[in-house]
Amino acid sequence: MMALKLLWRSWRGGQLGLIFGSLVMAVVVVTSVALLADRVERALVKESSHFLAADAQVRSSREIPSQWLAEAHEQGVMTAEMALFASMVYSGDYNHLASVKAVQDNYPLRGVLTLSETPFATDPEQFQQVDHGPPPGEAWVDSRLLPLLNMNLGDRLDVGEVSLRATRVIVEEPDRGGSFSLFGARVLMNWTDLAASGVIQPGSRVNYRLLLAAGDDDLADYLSWLEPQLAVHDRLLSPDEAQAGLTDTLAQGRRFLLLAGSLGVVLAGIALALASRHFAVGQTATVALLKSWGVSARRVRALYWQQTLWLGLVGSLLGLVLGWVIHEVLIVLVRELLPVNLPAPGWRPWLTGLATGLLCLLGFALPALWHLPALSPLVVLRRDVPVQLVGAMRRLLIGVVVVAAMLLWYSQSLAMTMAVLGGLALTAATVMGPGWLLLRLLRHLGNRAGNVWRLALGNLWRRRVQSLVLLAGFVSAMAILMTLVMIRTSLLEEWRWQLAEDAPNHFLVNVAPHELAGVEKLLADNQLQSVGWYAMVRGRITLIDGQPPSEELVDSNEALRRELNLSWSSQLPEGNVVEWGAWWDQLGDFSGRYGEDVAPVSIEQDLAEEIGVTLGSRLTFNVGGLTFEGLITSIRSLNWDTMTPNFYILFPEGYLEKFPRIFMTSLYLPPEQKPFVNELLKAYPTVLVIELDMVIDRIRTMVSQVTHGLELMTLLILGCGVLVMLAAVKLSMDERLQESAILRTLGSTGRRILAVQSLEFGTLGALSGLLAASGAELALFLLQQRMFEASFRLHPELWLAGPLLGALLVGALGVAYTRQSVTRPPLQVLSGL
Amino acid sequence: MIEASHISKEVATSAGTLRILDDVNLKVDDGEALAIVGPSGSGKSTLLGILAGLDLPSAGQVRINSEDITAMDEEGRAAMRARYVGFVFQSFQLLPSLTALENVALPLELRGDAHALETARRFLERVGLDARWHHYPRQLSGGEQQRVALARAFASQPKILFADEPTGNLDTATGETINNLLFQLNREAGTTLILVTHERVLASRCHRRVELQAGRLVNSEAAMPVNS
Repeated sequence: MMALKLLWRSWRGGQLGLIFGSLVMAVVVVTSVALLADRVERALVKESSHFLAADAQVRSSREIPSQWLAEAHEQGVMTAEMALFASMVYSGDYNHLASVKAVQDNYPLRGVLTLSETPFATDPEQFQQVDHGPPPGEAWVDSRLLPLLNMNLGDRLDVGEVSLRATRVIVEEPDRGGSFSLFGARVLMNWTDLAASGVIQPGSRVNYRLLLAAGDDDLADYLSWLEPQLAVHDRLLSPDEAQAGLTDTLAQGRRFLLLAGSLGVVLAGIALALASRHFAVGQTATVALLKSWGVSARRVRALYWQQTLWLGLVGSLLGLVLGWVIHEVLIVLVRELLPVNLPAPGWRPWLTGLATGLLCLLGFALPALWHLPALSPLVVLRRDVPVQLVGAMRRLLIGVVVVAAMLLWYSQSLAMTMAVLGGLALTAATVMGPGWLLLRLLRHLGNRAGNVWRLALGNLWRRRVQSLVLLAGFVSAMAILMTLVMIRTSLLEEWRWQLAEDAPNHFLVNVAPHELAGVEKLLADNQLQSVGWYAMVRGRITLIDGQPPSEELVDSNEALRRELNLSWSSQLPEGNVVEWGAWWDQLGDFSGRYGEDVAPVSIEQDLAEEIGVTLGSRLTFNVGGLTFEGLITSIRSLNWDTMTPNFYILFPEGYLEKFPRIFMTSLYLPPEQKPFVNELLKAYPTVLVIELDMVIDRIRTMVSQVTHGLELMTLLILGCGVLVMLAAVKLSMDERLQESAILRTLGSTGRRILAVQSLEFGTLGALSGLLAASGAELALFLLQQRMFEASFRLHPELWLAGPLLGALLVGALGVAYTRQSVTRPPLQVLSGL
Repeated sequence: MIEASHISKEVATSAGTLRILDDVNLKVDDGEALAIVGPSGSGKSTLLGILAGLDLPSAGQVRINSEDITAMDEEGRAAMRARYVGFVFQSFQLLPSLTALENVALPLELRGDAHALETARRFLERVGLDARWHHYPRQLSGGEQQRVALARAFASQPKILFADEPTGNLDTATGETINNLLFQLNREAGTTLILVTHERVLASRCHRRVELQAGRLVNSEAAMPVNS
C-alpha cells in the first residue's frame, strides 16, 4: 500500500508521465502488431482447411479401404469420399474431355461451394453458397462447359452410362486450388451416380480422396492410427502441408512486423531509460530522507520494486488495451488483404505485450533506479556525497541484452536477432556519425553568425550527446515514414508509367490451331490487336547431359517437375538479349553436326542457372511420349516488362512443328471493352484468359494497403521518437531553467531566449529531416533498382519536406516543452524552489 | 544520552588525507539542548551526521542510550534512527510532489501509523499552518516550509532532534519565528536537541554550547542552566 501511495504521489507530481508514456508506447507497438499477426494467422490456418475442404485429406490412386472408413466412424471422425478423373462427357452431338469430380453428399466437410444459376455470373448477388454436393441425378458444372457442349442449364449431359441434369454452374470450389488449369471443364456429380456411370474400369486413372474432419484431438488420434496403414501410393495432407508455402510466408510476415515493431520498442526503451534516469535523480533526495528517518535499504528496495511493478502492470495493461484499438485500426486499413472474418486472438499476443512492458522496465528503468537503496543517508546533510550510479556502459549493456532477448523471442531466430541488432547499431552509427559532423560544422558557422544563432548552435554542440540521441530517435522513424509515403504515392505511379499506356494487359492462352482464325476474326471484329501469335508445345525435360536430374535438383526446381512451354522462333523475340552463345543465324549449318536429330536450344539464363546447365549442355525433352535431344547454343535474358509472351526455351523453326501445339498471344484491352472477355470465352470456352490488368490492380491495392498499415505503425514509432526527444530534453531541463534564469537576471528578454530555443530545436529538427531524407532516398533507390526494376529518379520533394517538417515538429515540441524556462520567475529557479 | 568518545573523521582528497574531526569527546544528556558552533568548514555538519548515525567516524565511538551505533551496520543504524532520531535541515528537504500534510504524514505512514494524517494535521495546526495543509512546498514561503519541516520532525515524536542550520536559509525575522517555535516544541516534547548553527543568538538559547575549530572542540560552555 505504501508503495502505491508513493507511486500515486509521484504520478501526481508529474514525475512519471514520460516513464509511463514510454512504457505504454512500447507495449502498444508490440501488442498491436502481435494481435494482427496472430489473428490473420489463425484465419489463414482455418481457411487452409477450406483449401482441403477438410481438416486433412488422404490422396490415393486406389479406392479407399472400407476399414479406414469404419475406424473413422468408430473414432467420431467425419469422412467424405471423392473421386477425380478425366472423362468424356456428351450432350447431343457435342463432347468434351471434362474434369469430373464425384463427391458424397456431405462434401465439402470444411468451407463452402459457391454456385450460381446464371452462367458466367460475376455479380455476387447471383451467387449462392452451399455446404453439400449435388444430389443424385444432378450435375453442377463450370460455366464454360455449357457453350462447349452447346447446352443450357437444365439440359442433360451424359457421363458414361449415366445421364445427369446440369442444374447449376460452379463459381468456386474450396479445394480447386489457385493455379490456372489447362484441364477440362469441371463436372461435379454425386458419388452414388459413379457406379452407374461405369466410367471407372480396372486400370482407369482415378484420383481417390478421403476427406477427414474432427476436433483436434480426435483427428490426431485417428491420423496416428492411419499413418502406419498408408502405402506408397497414398498421401496424407494436413492443412499445414497444403499451405506450407503460405504458413512460411506468414511466419516470416509476423516476424518482420514484430521486428519492425521492435524499433519502436528500442526507441521507447531509450526514452524510458532517459526518463528513469531523470526520475532517479529526483528520487535521490527522497530516498536520503527516508533513510535518515531510519527506513532500511531493504525496505527502500522493496518500495521501489513494488512501485516499478505496479507501474509496469498498469502501463502494460493500458498498452494492451490501446494496442487492441490500434490493431483494429490496422485491420480497417488493410481490410482488403484480410479474410472477412478474423477469429479471436489467442493468449500469445497478450503475453508478448505484457512481457514487453515488464522487460522494458527491467532493462531500461530498473538499472537507473538500482543505486537508490544503497544511497547514503548523509546526502540529506551534504550534497557533495558521491552517488554510486550504475555506470552508463553497464546500463547500455543491460539495455542491449534485454533488447536482444525480446528480439529473440519475437523472431525465434538467433541469426535474425543478430542481424537486427547489427542493423540497429549500424543505423545508430550512420545517423550519429554524420550528425556529429553536421553539429560541429554548424557550431563553426554559428560562431560567425548573429548572437542568437551563435547561442543556439553553441547549445546544440554543448549538449551534443542529447542532440545525437534525439537525432537517432527521429531520423530512423522519419526515414521509414518518408519511404512508405513515397512508395504509396510516387513509386506505384512511376511503375505504372513505365508500362506504356497501351501495353498488353491480357494474355490469351490455350488457343487450338483450328480456333486461331476464329479468335483472330473475333479480335478484328472488336478492333483489337494482338502482339502476334506464339505456338507452344508442352514438353518435359527428362535428362540433362544424358543423366536423369538428381532428386534434390528435381525437388528444388518446379521446372523439372512440370511440363514447360516450348516454342520456336526464327527471329530473336523483342526484349530478349543473347547473353552467351549465338542466335540461330550465326550457328551456320547445324543439322547433324552433333548427332542425328539434335536440335539447337536457346534457354533463359535464370532457368539455366537453376537447373545447372550451360552452353553445350544437352537436354532431353519428352513431348507426349516422344523424346528428342537438344544442345544449348544460346542463353538469353528476358525483359518481362514488355507484357508479350516470353518463353524459357526456344527452338529454331523446323523442330517442334511435328508435335501437337496450341497458341498464345497478349493484347491490350481498353477497360470499356472488358465484356469482350466473356464474349470470347462463350465462343471459345477452352481458351484461357489471364487478366493481367486485374492482377496489376490487385498488386497495387495490396502494396497501397500494406504501406498504409505500415505508415500507421511508423507513426507509432515516430511517437516513440518524440518520447525520446522529450526524455532527453527533460534530462537537460534543470540546466536549461538555470541558464535561462541567469540570462534573464542579466537582462535578456524572454522572447530572445525563446528565439534561441526555437532555433536550437528547429535546427535539430531540420538536421533530422535532412538525414531522414537521405536515408529515405537511399531506400527508394534500392527499391527502384531491386523491386520495381525502374530507373533511378531523385525525389526533390523529400529534400524539401523533410527538413521543413522536421524543423516544425521538433521545433514546436521542443519550445512547447521548455517554455517554462521563460515563464518561471528567475528568482524561484535560482533559489532552487 | 548521547556519548561520543575520541571521534575522528578523515577523508582522502587529491591533496592527501584531510582530517575533518580530531579526537572529539562529547556527552549530551537527555532533554539537553546543545549548540555546536564554529566557522564554516570546521566540521560541524560532519559531527552532526556522525552523532545522528548518518555517517561513520574514522575512529572513536558513538553511543546512544548505551548502544554503540558505530559498531552497527547500516541496517542497525537505520533501526536506531527510526527509534530515536528526527531531523530539521537548512534546506527544509520537503518533497516537492507532496502536499504539506503529506510531507508531515510521510514518516508516520512509513512507520505504519494508522492515524498518520490526523497526527500530521494536529502538528500543522501547532505550527500555525492548518489552513495551508493542501499546499505544495512551491506554494509556501521559506518560513512556512521550515514550519512544515518542524511539524514533520516533531510529529514522529523523536527522542533526539538534530537540526542543521535550521534558519540558515531564512531572513532574520522569519528565523526568529522558527527559533521560537523550535524551542517551544522542544520544551513541550522534552526532546534532546542537538543544533548546528553559526548564529550566536540561536546558540545562546541552548543549554550548552560547544565550539569546533578545524575539527577540534575548543570551547564548551553552559549557556543556561539545564532546567531553566
